[in-house]
Amino acid sequence: MSDGADRRLHPATILLRFVKEGPSLLALPAGLAFASRTGLSGALALAALLVALLLAAKWVAWRRFRYGVGPAEIVIESGVLHRNRRSIPFDRIQDVDIERSFLARLFGLAKVRIETGAGGKDEGLLDSVSLAEAYRLRETVRARRTDAAPAEAADESPALFAMDVPRLLLFGLFSFSLVYIAGLFALLQTFDRFLPFDIYDPARWVGLVGEYLPHRWTLGAIAGVLIVAALLGSAAGILRTLARDFGFRLSLEGERFRRERGLLTRSEVVIARRRVQLAQVQTGPLRGSFGWSGLSFQTLGAGTDASGLQGAAPFATRAEIEAVLAEAPPLRLPPPPELARVSRRHILRSAAARLGPALAAILALSAWERAALLLLALLPLLAVAAALDRRFHLYALADDLLFVARGYWRRRLWLVPVKNVQSLSLSRGPIQRRLGLATLAIDTAGASLLNSPRIVDLRSDVAEALAAEISRRRQAQPLLRMSGKPVAHPE
Amino acid sequence: MTPLDRGLLRLMRIRGAATGAALVAAAAVAEVALRESSPLPWGALTAPALLIFAYLAVWAPPRRYRAWGYRMDGEELRVRRGVWTRVHTLVPLDHVQHIDVSQGPLERALGICSLVLHTAGTLHSQIVLPGLTRDTAERMRDEIRTRIREEPA
Repeated sequence: MSDGADRRLHPATILLRFVKEGPSLLALPAGLAFASRTGLSGALALAALLVALLLAAKWVAWRRFRYGVGPAEIVIESGVLHRNRRSIPFDRIQDVDIERSFLARLFGLAKVRIETGAGGKDEGLLDSVSLAEAYRLRETVRARRTDAAPAEAADESPALFAMDVPRLLLFGLFSFSLVYIAGLFALLQTFDRFLPFDIYDPARWVGLVGEYLPHRWTLGAIAGVLIVAALLGSAAGILRTLARDFGFRLSLEGERFRRERGLLTRSEVVIARRRVQLAQVQTGPLRGSFGWSGLSFQTLGAGTDASGLQGAAPFATRAEIEAVLAEAPPLRLPPPPELARVSRRHILRSAAARLGPALAAILALSAWERAALLLLALLPLLAVAAALDRRFHLYALADDLLFVARGYWRRRLWLVPVKNVQSLSLSRGPIQRRLGLATLAIDTAGASLLNSPRIVDLRSDVAEALAAEISRRRQAQPLLRMSGKPVAHPE
Repeated sequence: MTPLDRGLLRLMRIRGAATGAALVAAAAVAEVALRESSPLPWGALTAPALLIFAYLAVWAPPRRYRAWGYRMDGEELRVRRGVWTRVHTLVPLDHVQHIDVSQGPLERALGICSLVLHTAGTLHSQIVLPGLTRDTAERMRDEIRTRIREEPA
């Protein structure tokens, strides 16, 4: 084959992928066995055929996938019919991420992701190679980069932030979640025909509760159900947190943050310091009152989760967050008095925005159950919620940083260096125009649609002045390109 | 703010008329097809469709056209648009990733083209400025290109 691409993925990859994809494939013969009269032998034959086909396909894909380390680049050749040869120059490689899922660990494998500046997800994915090979690749890349920092061993750099088990348990407790119980019910629903009873038979559930509790639906019974739900929710939160964040460790190696975490799936992610676009601090009413919050970075390119953020310190005290931010200048936390509130009329708009859905829900309910109309008495609570919206929607422009805080339940605080602002948008809807308000949206690289800083309902003239000031301060900054992408060629 | 070329107004009228005409045609066909079974009086579908046609082809385009405007002052491009929700966007030119000048067949016939700025941002990764004459668009593109090049790579 062509020069450079002289290596293959680890052969166990075939098995690994087979184990991953096999079960969903077997749903077809299983369904067939149930639905038709071909019987067990027919289904088994079909299953065997599918297994053989899948194994063959995986084997061909493995045969046709080659990679190698050239003099100045990493070369990846892939594709069964349509051959694709990709070369990634060492200078463009930001770093090499290593992820090990539970299955991969059983096989002694690791998934290697070669991170470059571009946003594509699968730019340089080697799924999977042996762990030793993964480390070798990383060392090779680090050694060959022209701007390579002096090589440091991973274990030598001190932790900037780490979480021990007690901290994780506490974090899990605050990550209370009923979603998983809902998931369990969804699963039951899928398999309900295999269950010996009908899970949708209310009499059965009431009867069950009635067996254990002397009086039906007394306050005590309701409290009991709530307590059980709370316990289950907490347990789900703790389990999920332990699985995801066990052994969480953030360290700084030269110009890069390195994050390791995970119990079953162990992942190692590297965030280049100069690619951090902004930081976000998240907390909630309960967590916040105990002084806990989480810090995430928004970076360019692949490897971020759905929100476009990388958790850097998911459950930390203010001092710990400040310590991490100190390593990512110019980011810092705002001293509280620096923040200003948006216009008072935000309360009006916010209440109006909540009123519509609430009214619709109540009316829909009342068509079914007349008593739901009593809920209308709760509508004034919306005014309270709207007032809280404004109380927790704060902003400030301090030197070269823009701060935006928003949300009561989900409290988010964005720290945006003005030099990373990609564009500013002032928008005024019909109602906002009547009230003399405007919304300022700040666009940054790598932001997600729903998780992007916006200052909603500023007074029009204030919003305009703020936009002009951000723009002025941005220009006053020394020109420093923060994006990893090169200046592209027009046309 | 500089208004856009009148060609854009014509383009909006043509597009609005095309959409409106399709709607009117659909309404008329439905009307004829349902003549026997429908309890609605004659014209109950076509008349509103005609009103929508008038809105799309006659009334809305000038308003939308007037809402557009742009200004380039050295370091940034400002674009204003929107009738109901008015949006005013500021694009720092040194952050522009690349620039397209694009022209569809209809635009070509009307002698206008669009300038598309690509930024690294996600919400407005493309800022489109339609309705520029070819000369203006190319001049702006060259000007922005020098802004991008001024900084150290």
